[in-house]
Amino acid sequence: MTTIAPSVAVPMPRRARRYMDRKSLVPLLLFIPPALILFVVLVVLPMIDAASFSVFDWTGYGPMTDFVGLKNYEDVLRHRHFGTAVRNSLLVIAISLLVQLPLAMWVSLALVEKRVSVNIIRTLFFLPYMLAEIAAGLIWKFVYDGNYGILPTIGDALGTDMPFVLGDKFWVMPAIMLVIVWKYFGFHMMIYIAGLQSIPTEVIEAARLDGVKKWQIVRHIKLPMIWGSIVISVFFSIIGALQLFDLVIPLSNGGPNNSSHTIVSFLYQFGILRMKLGFGGAVSVMLFIACVVITVVYRRLLFSREVD
Amino acid sequence: MKRFALAAMLSVAAILPAAAQETVDWMHISSIPEEVALMEAAVAEYEAANPDVKINMQFLENEAFKAKLTTLLQSDAAPDIFYSWGGGVLTEQAAAGVLRPVEDLVDPAVAEAIGSGGMSAFTRDGHVYGLAQQVSEVVLWYNKALFEQAGVDPASLETWDGFLAAVQTFKDAGITPLAVGAKDKWPAHFWWSKLVVRLAGQDAFDAARMGENGGFAAEPFVKAGEMFLQLAELEPFQEGFLAASYGDASGYFGDGKAAMHLMGDWDYGAMKDNSANKLGIPDDQLGFLPFPTIEGGAGDPTDTLGGINGWLFHKNAPDAAVDFVEWYTSAEVASRFGNAGFFIPIAKGAADGMTNPFKVQIAQSINAAHWHSIFFDQELGPQIGGVVNDISAELAGNALSAEEAAELVEEAAADLR
Repeated sequence: MTTIAPSVAVPMPRRARRYMDRKSLVPLLLFIPPALILFVVLVVLPMIDAASFSVFDWTGYGPMTDFVGLKNYEDVLRHRHFGTAVRNSLLVIAISLLVQLPLAMWVSLALVEKRVSVNIIRTLFFLPYMLAEIAAGLIWKFVYDGNYGILPTIGDALGTDMPFVLGDKFWVMPAIMLVIVWKYFGFHMMIYIAGLQSIPTEVIEAARLDGVKKWQIVRHIKLPMIWGSIVISVFFSIIGALQLFDLVIPLSNGGPNNSSHTIVSFLYQFGILRMKLGFGGAVSVMLFIACVVITVVYRRLLFSREVD
Repeated sequence: MKRFALAAMLSVAAILPAAAQETVDWMHISSIPEEVALMEAAVAEYEAANPDVKINMQFLENEAFKAKLTTLLQSDAAPDIFYSWGGGVLTEQAAAGVLRPVEDLVDPAVAEAIGSGGMSAFTRDGHVYGLAQQVSEVVLWYNKALFEQAGVDPASLETWDGFLAAVQTFKDAGITPLAVGAKDKWPAHFWWSKLVVRLAGQDAFDAARMGENGGFAAEPFVKAGEMFLQLAELEPFQEGFLAASYGDASGYFGDGKAAMHLMGDWDYGAMKDNSANKLGIPDDQLGFLPFPTIEGGAGDPTDTLGGINGWLFHKNAPDAAVDFVEWYTSAEVASRFGNAGFFIPIAKGAADGMTNPFKVQIAQSINAAHWHSIFFDQELGPQIGGVVNDISAELAGNALSAEEAAELVEEAAADLR
């Protein structure tokens, strides 16, 4: 297949030898350390830290002395809201994959042409992604506010009573997921547009001349040719959904009655705010393991497919 | 090069006078502009009298402050002076050694003025870690106009049964009886706490803390949950209360949309500030009641729930920090805030000049209290207090049984014993 393979895909053993020759060794020694040091200090060390206090009963103050083994992990699994948090995170993944990405694909197919008007619409769709999460959350909190928001105004115009969506156990997750789709579909749209624009126009032209229908062009030419972009965007969706936090806090703060927590907001509420950092550490280690497993499995299943 | 040297010299010159000064970082949580203006004026006055000290005011919003403090206190950016509700959080901070004991530094006259109650609220194991500045009490604020409209006599709210009947009357009249900001959870915990204060009283509360008689799963605590549910079943709170923050609820009450708001005395100012027109309920339309008494409850009718709040010193705080707070909490300075109605100062004589009739009356009620219980979520510390807040919001939403609620609090408490 003539796909443009993303560079992440194939670590070839043949290449390994090339790093050893002297010409590339010097730039390697020069350019790798800054990135590596930052990565170690800002990513690896905090990870080790979190893992180490997950086996202590620790308030966050002073040295860790109270070793409790795996009790924190047990507490997390037994916590009455942990199941809800996991379920919500899975729900966000599902909606991202089933609603957000198809929507982004549809929009990108419609907006792939290079015209000024198209560019403007594209920018509009991309704007929400550029907004800070907290700001987006606050904006939507006002939209949803049952007393002063836009939603009740719309309800009035339609002659119905709108629910207080963020205070309603049933509506809170759909409301949050609407914001997620609104916020991130533009990002995935951009990935797809970039992919679509890299398809040589001759290929499409040729197909068109052969009388291939529009939908068939999409199905048999465009989608396969941007397979690499799709794989990447699905991956971003899953990992992003697992890390979802800063939209939830201003919108619902995990409420009502802890029904809209994601794994990370659960960690923050019941670990950090309660000064149970060991408990929080245990959640973060579990989340980390989940992310690693997903990454490894996903790479095995999908990234490798392009190599064939 | 020449220009560079000149710039370097200039910058050195700019730093020099500053270096001779001692900077004291002071972190507060007040968001009311008029109160902050008073604080700034006090700082300017202190700096004028003490030219070698520079007070650097820093602000964090209430919820953000609570969330960040633990990390902040152990970092280089730790403030020298910071706000505190005392209680279990202070106990943790003291045990961790992030605070500076200042008992040797505090002027005995200052301690005398603050009084033994205020001093002991900021003392752990014989060490004084801070100075109390203000007292507060949670009362049932009410809107006289709405009471009149529904035909409810405030006197009928003296007992729990009368209170429930009034709530029903408001419901029937199409008026929201109560505002609560249950998204933040702590406003909801006032209801549970006040019921516990009435039903259990000081002795049973202290016993529960020690784990005696079944701890927090004991009868009065279950009963508190039951009575909370009894109230919740009437659906007394504003629509969407589970998504409302404290500020939302305070504004809702201030806008005259709810008949009552169980909230601290600070809501007198906050209610105005949070209201749509920034004026809130006019003074002549505003009243407050003590929490209804409960027949057969073990608590003393004079018992109050509230806070003794003040300022703590970080372990690296300079002596000047203590000197500033001594002056700042003194009757001379604190009375300005008392007179303006921002809080009730604790220093002897500081509250004498208060003219706000609400605050004067609340100050008297705290003085007359048999037990001035500290906010349970602060008093019990974040681990138990957090659970108290959780179960309170859930009881308000009628989403938890009274037994379960009591069990959950006891479970968290047993974890720490």
